[in-house]
Amino acid sequence: MKDINEGEFEAEVLNYKGTVLVDFNADWCGPCRMFRPILQAFAKQHTDVKVVGVNIDDNDELAEKYNISTIPCLVVFKDGEEVARKEGVLPEKKILKMVEG
Amino acid sequence: MKYDVIVVGAGIAGMTAAIYVKRAGKSVLVLESVIHGGQIINTIGIENWPGDYGVSGADLAGKIYEQLGKLGIEVEYSEVETIEKTSEGFTVKTDDDEYSCGAVILAVGTEPRRLSEKQAADAGKRAVSYCATCDGALYKGKPVVVVGSGNTAKHEMKYLENIASKVYHIHHDEPIPKDAEAVFVAIGRTPNTKFVKDLVDLNSEGYIVAEEDCITSCSGVFVAGDCRTKQVRQLVTAAGDGSVAAEAAIDYLAKK
Ligand SMILES: Cc1cc2nc3c(=O)[nH]c(=O)nc-3n(C[C@H](O)[C@H](O)[C@H](O)COP(=O)(O)OP(=O)(O)OC[C@H]3O[C@@H](n4cnc5c(N)ncnc54)[C@H](O)[C@@H]3O)c2cc1C
Repeated sequence: MKDINEGEFEAEVLNYKGTVLVDFNADWCGPCRMFRPILQAFAKQHTDVKVVGVNIDDNDELAEKYNISTIPCLVVFKDGEEVARKEGVLPEKKILKMVEG
Repeated sequence: MKYDVIVVGAGIAGMTAAIYVKRAGKSVLVLESVIHGGQIINTIGIENWPGDYGVSGADLAGKIYEQLGKLGIEVEYSEVETIEKTSEGFTVKTDDDEYSCGAVILAVGTEPRRLSEKQAADAGKRAVSYCATCDGALYKGKPVVVVGSGNTAKHEMKYLENIASKVYHIHHDEPIPKDAEAVFVAIGRTPNTKFVKDLVDLNSEGYIVAEEDCITSCSGVFVAGDCRTKQVRQLVTAAGDGSVAAEAAIDYLAKK
């Protein structure tokens, strides 16, 4: 799982053929810190899914563009299109359900 | 799968109960719909949990969860939908599985009370948040409104005053100011007990009726933490209930 910024978003997410999970987070957000190891484990188990993090303090334009109103917020992109989103910490099982649609 | 005890909810009460059950040599499963830790995970700088001054709720939850792991306690992330009494014990059904057990500990806690329908319609497409410390930073330099009259509302306002351009304050059921971009709601909490209303006695507010012994109206069902009728709803009392409910469940199983 890598962290990306505004400049990388287009190449890493929008132009990517396949599934990307974008985790909007911040350093001061405790639940986000709880979520990270779950996402990292998910990324290891599901190598066909790309998982990236976006820090909303460093990338506030992205957060605004995607209407992020609470964090953590996980947004699923398929071939560059948003297909699902969920707020709050999610167990691995529920992440998989989101990805499978 | 059959367990001696099933604990519903992995907040501080539920996790503590599981520790006690497991250490007494009984099998235990914890079922949690969201994430271990419960309602405390958004709080920073806890000053009244003994032994760990200033710990954050997320770190505290992580530490207790790690302790569960070391004791070999299973936590399954599913929401419990129904609990039925059977001739041998209980059948616990989740959104994707079914389990049986000899005794149940309900540690389901509380959730924030939602906006009234009228206010929700008034809020329209605007963001509605139940936690200023979680979401406040997203409204830097923007007008926001806090709904509620209690201590939590005051606390949320104070926090937002350093971030937002303006912080409106309204009471429950007053109209939401037109220019507020986000609505922060602090109108109290309500217990997560609807799914057990036919199993155990609830009071008029939905809390599970039990004294300090944590014994409910249904034999074999015990209650721990904030969802119980009690005076002080805090981390230490949730943990205290966890141990009491676990001992009561173990005692019940021994006598059965
Ligand atoms: C903002 C805030 C600040 C606070 N600060 C402090 C403080 O500084 N010090 C202090 O001592 N206390 C504090 N408290 C109070 C403290 O958080 C609670 O007393 C304590 O966390 C209650 O723990 P609990 O385990 O009883 O319930 P909860 O923490 O509410 O846990 C219940 C769990 O059950 C789960 N659940 C519910 N229904 C189901 C279901 N059907 N199936 C499966 N799982 C289910 C929930 O998802 C949740 O994880 C604070 C509370 C809040 C909201």
